[in-house]
Amino acid sequence: MREILRMVVVLTLICAGSGFALALVHKVTKEPIEYAKLKNVKEPAVKAVLSGYDNDPIKDRIVIVVGKDKRGRPVKLVVFPARKGGKTFAVAFEGTGKGYHGEIGVMVGIDLKTDKLTGIAIVSQSETPGLGARIVEKSFTDPFKGQSLAKPLTKDRIHALSGATFSTNGVLAAVNQARDILTKYRKQMVQ
Amino acid sequence: MSLSEYPLFIIGAILVNNILLAKFLGNCPFLGVSRRMDTATGMSMAVIFVMTMAGMITWLVQYYLLVPLEIEYLQTIAFILVIAALVQLVEIVMQKTLPALYRALGIFLPLITTNCAVLGVAIMNINEEYGFVDTLVFSFASAVGYSLALVLFAGIRERFALARIPKVFQGTAIGLVTAGFMALAFSGFAGLVN
Amino acid sequence: MSLAKEFKKGFWDVLPPFRLVLGLCPTLAVTTSAENGAGMGLATTFVLVCSNLLVSLLRKFIPSKVRIAAYIVIIASFVVIVELLMQAYAYPLYQALGIFIPLIVVNCIILGRAEAFAGKNGVAASAADGLGIGLGFTISLFFLGSVREILGNGTWLGLHVMWPGFAPFKFMVRAPGAFVTLGTTLALINWISARLEARRRS
Repeated sequence: MREILRMVVVLTLICAGSGFALALVHKVTKEPIEYAKLKNVKEPAVKAVLSGYDNDPIKDRIVIVVGKDKRGRPVKLVVFPARKGGKTFAVAFEGTGKGYHGEIGVMVGIDLKTDKLTGIAIVSQSETPGLGARIVEKSFTDPFKGQSLAKPLTKDRIHALSGATFSTNGVLAAVNQARDILTKYRKQMVQ
Repeated sequence: MSLSEYPLFIIGAILVNNILLAKFLGNCPFLGVSRRMDTATGMSMAVIFVMTMAGMITWLVQYYLLVPLEIEYLQTIAFILVIAALVQLVEIVMQKTLPALYRALGIFLPLITTNCAVLGVAIMNINEEYGFVDTLVFSFASAVGYSLALVLFAGIRERFALARIPKVFQGTAIGLVTAGFMALAFSGFAGLVN
Repeated sequence: MSLAKEFKKGFWDVLPPFRLVLGLCPTLAVTTSAENGAGMGLATTFVLVCSNLLVSLLRKFIPSKVRIAAYIVIIASFVVIVELLMQAYAYPLYQALGIFIPLIVVNCIILGRAEAFAGKNGVAASAADGLGIGLGFTISLFFLGSVREILGNGTWLGLHVMWPGFAPFKFMVRAPGAFVTLGTTLALINWISARLEARRRS
């Protein structure tokens, strides 16, 4: 009996010690991990759409709430500001649109003074290789640069992909969703 | 996944992405038990059983315990404890209910705890975001693929006993080189599943 | 035995994975480049040293019947710590090593040393044992990774080292190449061992 008690006590103590140590390490590394993830996964896209800044858009990122999901929990959006001399002159964040094979994630860069696109970069897509997947090519994304968002972006202002209408529309939807978000939450983005 | 996609999914798991020859999981016991056919088949049976059960239980642990409590970072430690406990349980139950099978498997049963294939497949199920049924199918198919590689390998190695192999290659070394050529053969399946 | 002896044995006598034939899974999978091999080796060394230390420290308190369970909890905890630290401070390496980082927990080397050495020896000796074997393992992985990277990719540590017309032997960086390289290197080490043994006898 005493033996079993000893076994239980020792194992419990070891598990408790482990739990405590791990919770501690988890707490300490939470922020660095989030930063590392963003830097490695999103930074290439952010760099592709923003330029001419003297800050670190990843480090200076702002999280804003843009609504509620089906369960009533807040939906968060991460905004990456481009600053010069401390003032934000452009922002980049992700918009999503429905493509042919699921959601397309587009990193949209917008110049705040002119309301023009500084560029787009496709962050995630599962479109058909050779057809819709060609939205990642420069020949498709380049024409978005400099387009004005005063009015919603339409297909005639960019180079639509032939044979991939759904994919093209998906990207446009994502850009226009970003446009809506900018209109609604502009003030919060320029903190 | 629709029913018609399953056959390809299964073949993919067994041949194209064979967890041993393509994903490098489960090597230690592979080279240890595959010298003879009977040990190879014994290990295979044990692995199929444990891997399928472990896949299911770890899936439940992930989605009903780790995610709701937001402690996903404890996945590694939770999964290995589940596997160790499962193997222990299986040992105890088998000793009482199927003693002949228990004796046949011998030491291979507890050894499955440290078989990286079991933990590896459990983690893959989560990474690939499979549902419960897909997890069950993938775990089972992966184990079958592992067993296939194991049994084929044992067959080849039994023949080595009669071949003249340079002294420095004898044992594990020639085993590894052979496994390499088996892996090469299996990589030929790569175009099978799109 | 002196500390230095415990430390040195990891570099030849008990060199994993060649003379101590354990820890093969990660060896085959991550040695696609010299850098990945070294990274995995160092992560494994960290876990090995820490677990050896803690197991040795607690060896008198852990009842024999539950020692394997206790070792597993201890080792798994350090693996999670390494996972979190790598994610935070070495993310590209974390992505490269992928699923094999959590698989360090079933690396037979670590459980093997806990059972065979740390559970029965003092703290300093266990630390030396862990450090020596861990570093030996790292060197082995670095060597294998280098061979496969140079022949299979034409680079070493990311730098081009082969002549311009060199066509990389892609076989080397894929699964078959891993097995064959390991097997051949093992044969080579066997040969060197045999020669050293013969010389010692004569």
